[in-house]
Formats: sequence, structure tokens, C-alpha cells
Amino acid sequence: MYALSDVRKVFGNDAPALDGVSLTVGRGEHVAFIGPSGAGKTTLFRLLNLTLRPTAGVLLIDGVDVAALDGAGLRRARRRIGTIYQQHNLVGRLRVVHNVLAGNLGRWSLSTAVASLMRPRAADAARALEQVGIPEKLWARTDELSGGQQQRVAIARVLLQDPDVILADEPVSSVDPSLALTIVTLLRDLSHQSRKTLLVNLHSVELALGYFPRIVGVREGRIAFDLAPDEVTPELLGALYAGHSDATRQLDRIHDGIGSYGTACRPLPGFSK
Amino acid sequence: MVLAISLREAGVDPRLLVQSDAVGNAARFVRGMFPPALGVDFLGLLVRPVIETIQISLMGTTIAVVIGFPLGLLATASLMWRGALHERTPVARRALLGGVPYGLARALLSVFRAIPEYVWAFMFVRAVGLGPFPAVLALGVAYGGMLGKVYSEILEGVDSRPIEALRAAGASRAAIVLYGLVPSALPHLVSYTLYRWECAIRAAAILGFVGAGGIGQQLALSMRMFQFDEVLTELAVLFALVAAVDFVSGRIRGRLV
Repeated sequence: MYALSDVRKVFGNDAPALDGVSLTVGRGEHVAFIGPSGAGKTTLFRLLNLTLRPTAGVLLIDGVDVAALDGAGLRRARRRIGTIYQQHNLVGRLRVVHNVLAGNLGRWSLSTAVASLMRPRAADAARALEQVGIPEKLWARTDELSGGQQQRVAIARVLLQDPDVILADEPVSSVDPSLALTIVTLLRDLSHQSRKTLLVNLHSVELALGYFPRIVGVREGRIAFDLAPDEVTPELLGALYAGHSDATRQLDRIHDGIGSYGTACRPLPGFSK
Repeated sequence: MVLAISLREAGVDPRLLVQSDAVGNAARFVRGMFPPALGVDFLGLLVRPVIETIQISLMGTTIAVVIGFPLGLLATASLMWRGALHERTPVARRALLGGVPYGLARALLSVFRAIPEYVWAFMFVRAVGLGPFPAVLALGVAYGGMLGKVYSEILEGVDSRPIEALRAAGASRAAIVLYGLVPSALPHLVSYTLYRWECAIRAAAILGFVGAGGIGQQLALSMRMFQFDEVLTELAVLFALVAAVDFVSGRIRGRLV
């Protein structure tokens, strides 16, 4: 699906946000990205969803160099990539039905888009909302929903878009732990059913290790490790988060066997229970 | 310092106000206003100009929206060439398809609003003759310039995150305007347009002075003929008109924001 080699991204005169990133992700794979805030995970995701362009290096999607894409070709490529954001990035003043149907904008003509604002094909949106568990919110105004419900609307939007790959950038950082678990499993199960590739940025190491078969650690714009969860040792995590007190506390809790997600997560390898 | 210079240069001299002939003139002017002209014939004469003034302001504002909205979109930097939407666009293409129309639209809007509606009306009277039509055109152009400028600022201020999400899902620029920019900005756009309509009523009255119809033309006539009793009535009517429009648009705006 994705092949990155030696990708580098620099904003203005700052130190590179990403440097020497090489990574291959196969079709249908599920990968979790972890690392301290400011490590460059969000920049990586914005490169992967074709919002940003690498300063140097090559980014291939299914063997096609996306640097050459422009105009209609770029839109076609973006259509195949669905993104879920930490802040939902929905249009608050639109009704839920329109936000969900906006997933179609990549393939709709302008006249279809206009027509949909007048007479939305509500059945399509309702089906997607059913899948994410809030069918009753179809006609609600989006900014009246809770954070968790808005994240479900954002997922429903991606379901309508029906991309080949779903990128979820910190999808659960602004919801409480029990809801976070529900949303991560929802994402995982939905991508599994439709054989979509799923890449997730996670703030929670525990969720990443418990739910994803492949863990990529990012620190200071570089890939620190790329391993299966049972190969991720406490030492590696300690080095990944070194200097970030907040995350270290989270690791201590995992170490002591008191996870925020209860027994739903299996015991983590290398950690005493 | 600036104030002191301005005071001198602007010829601010309170003594002029209390000089005997100034006071006398003002007194004659005010005395002439009472009693106001309330004859049925005269009031009947005002009905048409009042309706005409409302029509001028409505049509003028409508034309201003038609001119201001597309130009406002073109003058919105985040839509045309700056920010996350354009990060991937090659620089040459960004300049040609984004920067050039953006610059032209901004220049055009500046010209439209730099020239006062009064001057526009004067020119349009020359072009299309006397009557309400030149007033409508003058309002449309001058207010189009103001609306376009403010529209572009409102659109610029819209939260860019939903916009980025639509773009990332492959939405075209027109679709982004439709699903992202306009819904988010709509209350502010409508609110400012209504506010401009309030101003347009006042302006429509003034435009009558250059022979562009409406209540203003009656006002100018009465003044020229020293019929100060009529002037008072006309001012009262204008006041009532402006107050009524303020009230109506205030109610609509209150419900929007």
C-alpha cells in the first residue's frame, strides 16, 4: 500500500519534523504509531493522506510516486485515503446527515453535491450511522453532539468515502478511556470487515500494544522501532518517551498492571502483572 | 499631536457657531420647521418616494451580494493560494491560478469601495439618466466592494480543520466552499449583509440628492425651496424608515447568531 524511503519534511527554517523515514505498509495491515507528542506522528499522517508533500525522499502508494500527482489525479488518490482526526474536523453547523454524506464529495459532481444539500440520500448516511452505533442522530446538528458521538460521525463519513486505507490521527485523545476502547475496536473491526488498511496514531501505549499487531515508535522525527507488540520491551518504551514525564507516568501504570482499559487488554509482554 | 494638527487644519472653530448671524440662520431654519407639514396632499406625495427608497436599498443590496460574493471568494487567500489546502500545489500553478485572480479581485474590490456611492451615483446618472436605477447601480457597486472585502475576511476566519478534512477526502474546491466554508460562515455572512442593508436605506436617501429618486430627492427639493416644514416631516419619515429596518434586520440577526 505505502512505501516510504528516506522521507524528510521541513517546515520553513525549523529543524526537520521528519527525517530519514523509511516504512512499508502492506494492504490490509493494521499498524499503530506511538511516541511522545511533537515526535512528528501527525506530520507523517498528513504526508500519508497527501495533505503535505515531502521535502525530500519518495512516497509511493501502490507503486505510484505521488509527488507527480496533481489536479484530478491527486483528487482521485486522496479519495482512496480516509482520515479521522483528533478534533473530528466536522462542519459543526451542518446536520449529521450532510457531514456523513460529505464522504462522497471526492466522487460526486458539483451538481450532485448541491442536490444532496437540498434532498440528501438519507438512507446511505443512516446505514453508516447504524454501523457506528448512533443511527438516531441522523438529523441532529453536528455541534450539538458530544465529542465521542462526533468522532463516530467522522468514522461514518470515512465509511461512506469507502477508502482503501484509513488513517486515524489520535482518534481517541479527546474522549474518556472506556469510549476510547470502543472507538478503537470499532475502527479495527470495521477495517477488518472491509479489508481496509488501518494506520492509527495513539497517545495510549496500552491501547496500541493491546490491539495492533504492528507497532511503530516515532521519536524526534525518526522511526525508533518497528516491531510486533510482544517485542516491544519496557526499555524500548522508556527510551521512546524519555524526557516526557506525562507518558512516563502512563508507562509506570502499565508496569504496575493498572491499565486504564481494565481487563479488556491482554497482559502486556515484558510487564509484570 | 495628531489631534492638535487636525484641530487646526480642519478649521474647527466653535466661535463660528455662536456668531450672531449663524445663530440667527439656525433659528430661522428651526423656526421654519414648525409646525411640520402634515397636509394629506403632502403626505400622499411622500408614499411613493418612501417605497422607492426601500426598493432602491433592496435591489442595491441584492446587486452588491451578486458582485461581492464571487469576488469575495476570489479574494479569500486560504481558498486561493495560502495554507494547508495548497501545500501540495506547485508554486507556479499556485501563483497563476490562485495568486493572480486573488490580486485582481482584491484590487477590483478596493476600487469599488474607495469611490463613494455618491460619486458612483453621479456617474451612473450620467450613464443611464435620472431615476432610481442609477442609485441601485451605485449602491450595488460601492456596497459590493465592501461586502466582498468583509466576506473574504469572514471566510478567511473559518476554522480550517474541517476544510482540510474535506480536501483530504478528495473534495473539489467548489465542493469545499459549499460544504465547508459557506455553512460555517453563513450566520456572519447574512448578519453583515443585513447590516449593510440598514446602511443602504440611509445611503439611498442621500443618493436622492443627485437626482436618483426616493425620499432623498424630495428632501433635496424641499431644502432648495426653503420649505423647512416639509424637511422636518421628511426627516421624521426617514428616521422611522431607518428605525423600522434596524428593527427588522436586528430581529433576523438575533435569530441567526
